[in-house]
Amino acid sequence: MSSEEGRSGPPAPEIAQDTAVGRTPGPASISIFQAFFREDRFFLILSVFIGIFSGLAVVCFRFAIDWCRIYFLGSGAVQSPIRLLLAPTLAGLVIAILVIHVFPLARGSGVNQTKAALYIYNGYIPLKTAVGKFITSALAIGSGHSLGPEDPSLQIGACLASALGRKLRLSRDHMRLIAPVGAAAGLAAAFNAPISAVLFVIEEVIGRWTAGILGSVVLSAVSSVVVMRWFLGSESLFRIPPVELLRPSELIAYAVLGIVGGLASVVFAFGISTLRPLCKGLRPWTQYLQPAIAGLLIGCIAVLGAPQVMGAGYQYMDEAMHGQFTWQFMAILALLKIVATLLSFASGTPGGMFAPTLFIGAMFGAAVGGAEHALLPHLSWSPGTYALIGMGVLFAGFLRAPMTSVFMVLEVSGNYSIIVPVIVANTFAYVISRTLQPTAIFDALSRQDGLELPSMEEQREESILRVEDAMQPPTEVILEAKDTLEKASKLAGQQPGDDVLLVRFSPSGWSSMTREELKSFIEGGKGSQTLESVLAGGGQIPCLHPDQPLDMALRYVDRWPLVPVVNRANLRELEGVITQHDVLERYRDFGGE
Amino acid sequence: MANGPKRLDLSPYLAREPVILAVLTGLAIASFLAVTGLSRLYHAQQESLAERWSARGAGDLNAHRFQVAITEFRTALLYDRDNSAYQLSLAQALMGLNQTDEAQAYLVNLWARQPENGVVNLELARIAAQKNQTVRALRFYHNAIYAIWPGNQEADRRKTRLELVNYLLQINARTQAESELIALETDIGEDPTQQTRLGGLFLRVQDYNRALTAFRTALKLDRTDAQASAGAGVAAFEMGQYAAAQRYLHQAVAASPGDTASAALLQTTESVLQMDPFRPQISDTERNRIAISAFNTAVDRLTACTALAASGAPSSAKPNVAASTTGARSLMQQWQKLKSQMTERGLRQNPDLLNTAMNLSFQIERQTASACGPGSPADKALLLIANLHEEN
Repeated sequence: MSSEEGRSGPPAPEIAQDTAVGRTPGPASISIFQAFFREDRFFLILSVFIGIFSGLAVVCFRFAIDWCRIYFLGSGAVQSPIRLLLAPTLAGLVIAILVIHVFPLARGSGVNQTKAALYIYNGYIPLKTAVGKFITSALAIGSGHSLGPEDPSLQIGACLASALGRKLRLSRDHMRLIAPVGAAAGLAAAFNAPISAVLFVIEEVIGRWTAGILGSVVLSAVSSVVVMRWFLGSESLFRIPPVELLRPSELIAYAVLGIVGGLASVVFAFGISTLRPLCKGLRPWTQYLQPAIAGLLIGCIAVLGAPQVMGAGYQYMDEAMHGQFTWQFMAILALLKIVATLLSFASGTPGGMFAPTLFIGAMFGAAVGGAEHALLPHLSWSPGTYALIGMGVLFAGFLRAPMTSVFMVLEVSGNYSIIVPVIVANTFAYVISRTLQPTAIFDALSRQDGLELPSMEEQREESILRVEDAMQPPTEVILEAKDTLEKASKLAGQQPGDDVLLVRFSPSGWSSMTREELKSFIEGGKGSQTLESVLAGGGQIPCLHPDQPLDMALRYVDRWPLVPVVNRANLRELEGVITQHDVLERYRDFGGE
Repeated sequence: MANGPKRLDLSPYLAREPVILAVLTGLAIASFLAVTGLSRLYHAQQESLAERWSARGAGDLNAHRFQVAITEFRTALLYDRDNSAYQLSLAQALMGLNQTDEAQAYLVNLWARQPENGVVNLELARIAAQKNQTVRALRFYHNAIYAIWPGNQEADRRKTRLELVNYLLQINARTQAESELIALETDIGEDPTQQTRLGGLFLRVQDYNRALTAFRTALKLDRTDAQASAGAGVAAFEMGQYAAAQRYLHQAVAASPGDTASAALLQTTESVLQMDPFRPQISDTERNRIAISAFNTAVDRLTACTALAASGAPSSAKPNVAASTTGARSLMQQWQKLKSQMTERGLRQNPDLLNTAMNLSFQIERQTASACGPGSPADKALLLIANLHEEN
């Protein structure tokens, strides 16, 4: 989301408050449809359509990128220097004009825009953004800017879903969720990896797992991948070479890769979060030239011998995996790709960071593997394995999506034997990146744009308060429901203290009674009756368990002055009690911590 | 108003989900058709670019300009990445530059899609053979033999089996190679060149009988085939059929005077025939003369070998010589005993003497051959005669 958007925001959408599709009363027979098409079911069906439309849009986006590449850079694998210099420069000029004057919301990668739609704009993303993203990203990637098609695809999917949701006047809750559903579809189609797309959207955009969201996201992702494969085939992005881990001791080599990848992630993230505000802070007229200058510099890198850094670079990742380059050259390529991506992204050229991240990861991975093999020849040397794990490492370290990073490698490689090295390397990279660069890149970018979007990473690590953190030790007097009121009064008299007395029912259940009530019952001549008979009309009170979130206690403590906290294995065993005062005190202390 | 015709009110239905779904379905179909149109344009362009680059690649591959061919096939694959033919050509170009790992990656992907493709299996077999992965190589060679080939399947399968036989010979798996050759025997028809080649391979696996049959078949089809004559000569020689060997080798040397190997073998064959006292259709006088000559040749060899042991034999031979010194002495004593009887007259008087003398001569030749290595052509001939008669 650009800073412009961050300040003003899109116009407030008109959203139906409580109906799925502006439901009006109709004949009785229509209630059959209404029953069948409850809004949640309808939303699931709608997710399939979102997937189909997103898939179709992503297919067209891929066509557009390829056509741009062929017409700008030529159809051969080796391009002329003139084209290498002119194509990204001229495209940069056109992109700048389009972004400044026609599609101001098309800047950036698209992930934060989708998050903003979810958390700020009730799922609203203008359709114009999708058109702008489509055109400008296709021009940028096709002309050789070092950016990828995945994040724009994610945003295009989210835009289409949002537009559809608005047309159908979905409820506010569903409107909020519809952008991530479209995002998952777009990303899945762009990446040809539905599981990774679903995980990424859950991990990075939505941040929570619920059956309703998961169902919709999975349906849209799968249907978009089916559409994409219908038109573009089912081949994965890379040809995966045989992946092997011969000896457990080789895990040390992958740990080293994790460390190097973690450091590279920090450098990359630091570069982007430093260079981007610098570029944005320059005089406004320079905004017209920044993408062109970035394009020119990338063209120079290409002319000087590294045309591999241009565009998304999937074919070169494939070649790296198959030992096509020396490890020294791959290390240079990784560094140059970082520079090229910094230039492209910081200049405000629309495009994604997924593909460059994977490129840098693959090159660093294979280079580290090659260097380790040169130093320790007894290590098995499989560039494909190191490149694949390198991709996951950068994904975990730079994009800070640890779970997605693991599953992405598994999904792309189709080989589960690689899981241990992936986890080892990714853990190292993630921990190093988290330590040296506390703010994740997407959070840093959104804060630069003046948006305070929830940080999924912080949410994941946030500690929550539980009932056991606020509860008090059990009351000394516990009355049994079968006791007579006289006996109860005698017991209560022996232990003066709390005004509220807990009554335990058999075989389970709890109730409460104040000393005052007990006294008045006895004075009313009911001393020989049991507590059970007296409390029959008053009903039982709910119980809590120590491990439950403290929020849960809030539901009860205002209605019942004392709520029992009981053992899960024995509901008659009192572990503590909790009052409204205890809950509020604990929250106050927690805020202070 | 109340009495007017009642109009059907569809508005409650039109606002509902089924209609929306129908509209969405219609929209999806329309979009699908539109994208299909675009997709056709896109794929047509990609296909044409792919064909153009692959044609260039094929030209360069044929001209053994592997590096350029690799770039061109890679470009072709940019536009048609699933095309097996391009992938195969790229793999072949990569193999041309000895980039076997990458070639293998392409081929393995291809194999996963087309496990029945003969070319892919053969290339994978070659890579495995190059990497000394014998089991894998054999598996892919066998796959290739029974796989589907474009064009002339029989000829390709035969060529593959021949390649497999060569590989088996290379790794000294003679028995397996022989089995493959026997299977191949039935596939080769009336083609003299192929028969000659088959005979040569049978010679290499030391199946002389089948080798001779193959060479004879080749010669039936082309009498002037010097290679077949030479091969038949060798096969006959190895089987001890010296007369036949002499005939074939004569033909070979006559057809190809530069064939020194055949000439040398012919000489040995003729020596065997001349020095064999047991051969039929010779007079007793001649037989006795040959036996006396062989007897003397043997003692010359024994003397030379003993002298070699006493003086300065090559260090590698010395242990053998030393070990056989005692045996040599005993043989010499036996020879001395017979020497006086080994005359024309002695042999005429004692017909058993010929056998005794020849047995001693054979024994001497064998022992000296193991102790001192190969001797003169005459000694070699005597050894061959010994083997021949021992077998009989």
